[in-house]
Amino acid sequence: MALTEIAAPAPMGLTPPSRVQIARTKFLKYGFGSPLAAAVSVLVFALLAYILWRFVDWAVVHAVWSRDNVDQCGHGGACWAVIDARHRLILFGTYPFEEHWRSTLAAIAIVATVLLSCIPAMWQPARLAVLWVVGFAAYYLLMEGSLLGLQQVTTDGWGGLSLTLFLFAAVVLLGMPMGLGLALMRRSDMPVVKWFALIIIDTIRSLPLVTTLFTAAVVVPLFLPGWLDGDKIWRVILAFALFFACYQAEVFRGGFQAIPKGQVEAGKALGLGYWNIMGRIVLPQVFRHALPSTINMVVVTFKETAIVTIIGFFDILASGKTAFGTADWAPYYIEVYLFVAAIYWVFIYSLGQYGEYLKGRMALSER
Amino acid sequence: MHRVLAASAMVAASLMAPQIALAESATVKQIEERGTLLCSGHNGSYFGFVEVNDNNEWKGLDIDLCRALTTAILGDPDKNQIVPLSWAQRFPALQSGDVDVIIKATGWTMGRDTEQGLQFSLPYFFGGAQLMAHGDLGVTDVAGLEGGVICVEAGTTIERLVANYLSTEGIEHDMVSYESAAELRSAYLANRCDAFAAWGPFLAVLRATEIGDPDAHVILSDQLSAEPIAAAMRQGDEGFVDVVNWMLSALLIAEEEGVTSENVNDMAANPANPRVARLLGVEPGMGERLGLRDTWARDMIAAVGNFGEIYDRNLGKDSPYKLDRGLNNLWSHGGVLYAPILD
Repeated sequence: MALTEIAAPAPMGLTPPSRVQIARTKFLKYGFGSPLAAAVSVLVFALLAYILWRFVDWAVVHAVWSRDNVDQCGHGGACWAVIDARHRLILFGTYPFEEHWRSTLAAIAIVATVLLSCIPAMWQPARLAVLWVVGFAAYYLLMEGSLLGLQQVTTDGWGGLSLTLFLFAAVVLLGMPMGLGLALMRRSDMPVVKWFALIIIDTIRSLPLVTTLFTAAVVVPLFLPGWLDGDKIWRVILAFALFFACYQAEVFRGGFQAIPKGQVEAGKALGLGYWNIMGRIVLPQVFRHALPSTINMVVVTFKETAIVTIIGFFDILASGKTAFGTADWAPYYIEVYLFVAAIYWVFIYSLGQYGEYLKGRMALSER
Repeated sequence: MHRVLAASAMVAASLMAPQIALAESATVKQIEERGTLLCSGHNGSYFGFVEVNDNNEWKGLDIDLCRALTTAILGDPDKNQIVPLSWAQRFPALQSGDVDVIIKATGWTMGRDTEQGLQFSLPYFFGGAQLMAHGDLGVTDVAGLEGGVICVEAGTTIERLVANYLSTEGIEHDMVSYESAAELRSAYLANRCDAFAAWGPFLAVLRATEIGDPDAHVILSDQLSAEPIAAAMRQGDEGFVDVVNWMLSALLIAEEEGVTSENVNDMAANPANPRVARLLGVEPGMGERLGLRDTWARDMIAAVGNFGEIYDRNLGKDSPYKLDRGLNNLWSHGGVLYAPILD
């Protein structure tokens, strides 16, 4: 008896209203507070419901799902048969058909590398270095294949989601330390170092990404000796990472400027060296201040990887276009674009959510 | 010492010059050492010329020509690597050695031929401005459009070509210009134009892909222009140009003589005439002069078929595009394609 008495709910007036209750009250107050508001709300909701219903009707009810039924396509419903027939082209580009398991594993390796890099326990230079070397080596060995005794696939054959993820991860993971280095150099007391960083940052930032990548892919091999120019994909990743680093350096600079000079001076007064002041006082705060813009940069970079199509790489968007680039599938480009958009959304939304988590975590440390 | 060696090598080379002209080209040698021919692909799809099938394999007219060249040089149509290239990238990629040859719907222009240091093969395709009209008008040529409304994209070379052609032929018409290709297309589909003008293969692609009922539209037979499409190679390797030219010529000769991928072995066993015997390597002469095997053309036709088969499969009657051969037929069938003399 005594137990039930204790567990009994407290009187209503004492508990704070739940979020749902607040939302409902506000919804009723602002949405249906006056006859006009109610009329507008009903109209808007009816319109939204109609659009949603039309979409579901097209995308689900009247849709054709299997490539075997492709002859039923084109009668008012979505033709997902194009995805059924061409999804491997979208996901893997022109990678050899029988070897797709390798491309799948390689993509998983990259995603795992990125996920692990996101865990705070991994944030030590040595751990990150090992993780990245292992992750990228796994990707390269699987995709290229000849070192594992598998059929060799040169980088011309890499493509699709697998390539987009690799480009993104390589650019961000290489570009982030480069950006930090440039930002530190830019703040250096030594004029040579400072001006070097300034010139690089300002030059690269004043060139369009397309030009930078085109130069790296096409122009550089014309004057570099053959043994130095390597594969096109590495030149492109380096150039893209440098481009990312220059923008990221400016993001970090904003973070540096938010820190009062007194903190560095206090560190010096305590007899701390440069690396101690940077590592223990300045950088942790810089990262916190720079976080929102950094997440923004990372998201933009994920989408910008699509630009590599102009130098002949089959990123996921280019392979999507190729998927409807044949007379049989040409009418169903909307379905392909929606499929590609959904894939982009999953990755970019996850990145955004991770950013929110980081913000929450860093806000805790400020309390 | 080195100088003496170099000088004597040069003397020896000049003495042997007649034989060297017969020896294989540097590019062909490189391809043989590599075991792979590097061909140009596209960074996506270029309908009819470069596409990717459901098994992630390249296909199309240009891809088939690359496969033909691969078979001619290496004996196996699959020993090539298709390097995806954007339009802007193709010439630098050729110069830097990323590809051995560009077979990529590339027009033969003076600038490319001279300033850009390229060398072109015989044209293998002639694409030009053509008009497409609604099928229910019952017209088959431009003269039938007398008094009609003809739409073009504003400010393009095609606009000028159409205006010139119609005034030369004395055909009364109303010409309407649209700012973009998309507007032009929807105006035509909304019946605001009787006909509209664009690049011939583009019209065929449009008819096959974006129009509900392909049979309801006719591509008119008049060719308003003819831009030669040819394979492009680096300047300075005449031996390789010879190989590419004779690859294309052999495909045309095979079509003239009725040699197809199906009957090539029967024809080789029992050649109808000396020309076929020479073509298929039954009589020597085909291989040695190019630095290839005597049976290269036979292997090639067995692998990809003659020019007509390649055309029909990718752009013509056996493809979804159903683009008439038109100019791209043999000279003996009203087209402009011909092969040099096989002596």
